[in-house]
Amino acid sequence: MFYDLHIHSCLSPCAENEMTPNNICNMALIKGLDLIAVTDHNSVRQIPAFAEAAYNVGIRALYGCELQTAEEVHVLGLFARPEQALSMQSWIDEKMPDVPNRKDFFGDQLICDSMDRVTDEEERLLLVSLSASLEETVDRIHEAGGRAVLAHVLDRENSVTNQLGFIPPGLPYDGLEIRSPEEKQRVLAAHPWIREGDTLWLTDSDAHRLIEISEPENDMEPGDFGRLWG
Amino acid sequence: MKLDELLEKTGWKLLTGGVDLDRELEGAYCGDLLSWVMGKGEPGQAWITVQVHMNIVAVAQLREFSCVLIADGANPPQDVIARAVDEGLPMIATGIPEFGTARKLIELGI
Repeated sequence: MFYDLHIHSCLSPCAENEMTPNNICNMALIKGLDLIAVTDHNSVRQIPAFAEAAYNVGIRALYGCELQTAEEVHVLGLFARPEQALSMQSWIDEKMPDVPNRKDFFGDQLICDSMDRVTDEEERLLLVSLSASLEETVDRIHEAGGRAVLAHVLDRENSVTNQLGFIPPGLPYDGLEIRSPEEKQRVLAAHPWIREGDTLWLTDSDAHRLIEISEPENDMEPGDFGRLWG
Repeated sequence: MKLDELLEKTGWKLLTGGVDLDRELEGAYCGDLLSWVMGKGEPGQAWITVQVHMNIVAVAQLREFSCVLIADGANPPQDVIARAVDEGLPMIATGIPEFGTARKLIELGI
């Protein structure tokens, strides 16, 4: 099952405005993907339109967000059902500082309907840290019925290893996102307590433009999917 | 300067009661990105940070810092303080921003 579980829509200020729900779903379909997720920064407000577009286009979907913790670590919350994802919004609103977006600098934060018409804009800047620790954020994702994936774990920006030096032992995450098989070896070498077979390793695009959505090259076993989201 | 003397001269608050303060301070290091601090800190330094995640205890032990100076009102959770006590790591809340914390150390000749 070819997947891409880290895609930004036009709600993320850093993503192109072409990243509308239908464009994302159709591009994923053209590319031959079987399973995708939209994960905007600190928001699930694109999820209703994305869920409807995915259904209409006929591509399997998970519903997510990319949360930025107080330590500035990025964590993906991935949910099997839209309403689970949507239940995160009130918690995000409570934890998010109220900083106005400067569109000319950060970009637009557009919310669409299922026909890709812009119906609203997020006025608060989404590229901020929530006032919740990494542990609290993982717990909240679990409480909402989701799975927590530490995003791009070896990146030089906003990764758990950059912000916190190493992946905290005992942190109950469900998956680790890596850019390449070589990164998996580096993660394992630096963390002797992480067992390769016990961990779900994901490689996603982190697409901010349509063309960046993954080619059909990252395969997930149906068993892994069923164990986590089935 | 020894840590107990630092506390006496600054009035900063020791968070980890009972840990040994008979430690010499040899300079200081400022940083909140733990990957950076792990690569750059030197033994004996006082580490000034606003990072309060559990990983700071491990990083401080790895770099053999003399203490962690928690600046700017950052508030370490109880489990982090308990772990620091277990490890014998002094953790001190300065109550002022990182720049002011560093300036105070310089004024004291560190």
